[in-house]
Amino acid sequence: MMELIAFVIAIAVAYQALKAYNLSKEKTLLYLNLSFVLIGAGLLVDGLASLIVLVARVHRGFLYLFSVGYTINFLAQVLAYGLLVYAYARQARSLTATTEALAAVPVLFFERNAVTELILIFFLVYIAIQTATNYSVNKNTNSMLVFGAFTSLSIAHVFFLIYTVKPLFYPFAHIAQLFGFLLLLAMLLRVNRPA
Amino acid sequence: MIPDTQGQAAKPTAKYRSQLRIYVDMMYVIQRESNQAKPTRILYGANLSHDRLVKYLEELESLGVIQETGIDDKVYGLTQKGIEFLNNFRRVESFASAFGFRI
Repeated sequence: MMELIAFVIAIAVAYQALKAYNLSKEKTLLYLNLSFVLIGAGLLVDGLASLIVLVARVHRGFLYLFSVGYTINFLAQVLAYGLLVYAYARQARSLTATTEALAAVPVLFFERNAVTELILIFFLVYIAIQTATNYSVNKNTNSMLVFGAFTSLSIAHVFFLIYTVKPLFYPFAHIAQLFGFLLLLAMLLRVNRPA
Repeated sequence: MIPDTQGQAAKPTAKYRSQLRIYVDMMYVIQRESNQAKPTRILYGANLSHDRLVKYLEELESLGVIQETGIDDKVYGLTQKGIEFLNNFRRVESFASAFGFRI
């Protein structure tokens, strides 16, 4: 359920980014749009896979859907956050080899594990630092909300990482993830409020 | 509404304003002057040369976002289409700026 709420918010951000791109033709906004489409798609697939497994829990055959959903969500997130990292690096004109090493992701279905979470944390921390820098320059509420959102998403993936050894952290990870998307929703509502 | 500015021969670097940015800066000046801006105010406010001012004023008029409103002197004001465009641009700018992206 939390994934489905986050999916709706991600698509709303993607739509706003597309509107912004159509008006300005600024490529970084197209990357922002694509990355949130990917995040939304990953969340939708993961959420639906979890829902199917929960609904049909008597059938053990459905359990593999957890892995399929997670794998698709992970690949979508790696591409999405990689695109965002690329967009920030492109804007700063300091593109390095790290952002170009995204292509070789082996397509195997896997459970949530420490390596995949570390990859996502790496991207998310980079994006959170960029948004923190932006907030330190702009000092406005919208920048703070975006910074808060990516910090919260980073924390969510740290919790997902800890979950691989301590299952207790699973709900906290989902709450942190949802909180991150709610901060993005708050930013969207502020941007679109009547003048 | 506003033409694509990406297809120009020389790729602009960050220090140059895009054509869209110049249009918007000019429209902001007009709005700031209570929708009755003289060309000189627009020239200084948007930091333009005289030649470019004349060119861009003509382009903005042909796009229907500004119009001449003065009777004796040349005075420019935003049209309804211009006001709506500027409101949309402000939202988009605010959204992009929240992520740290410049337009």
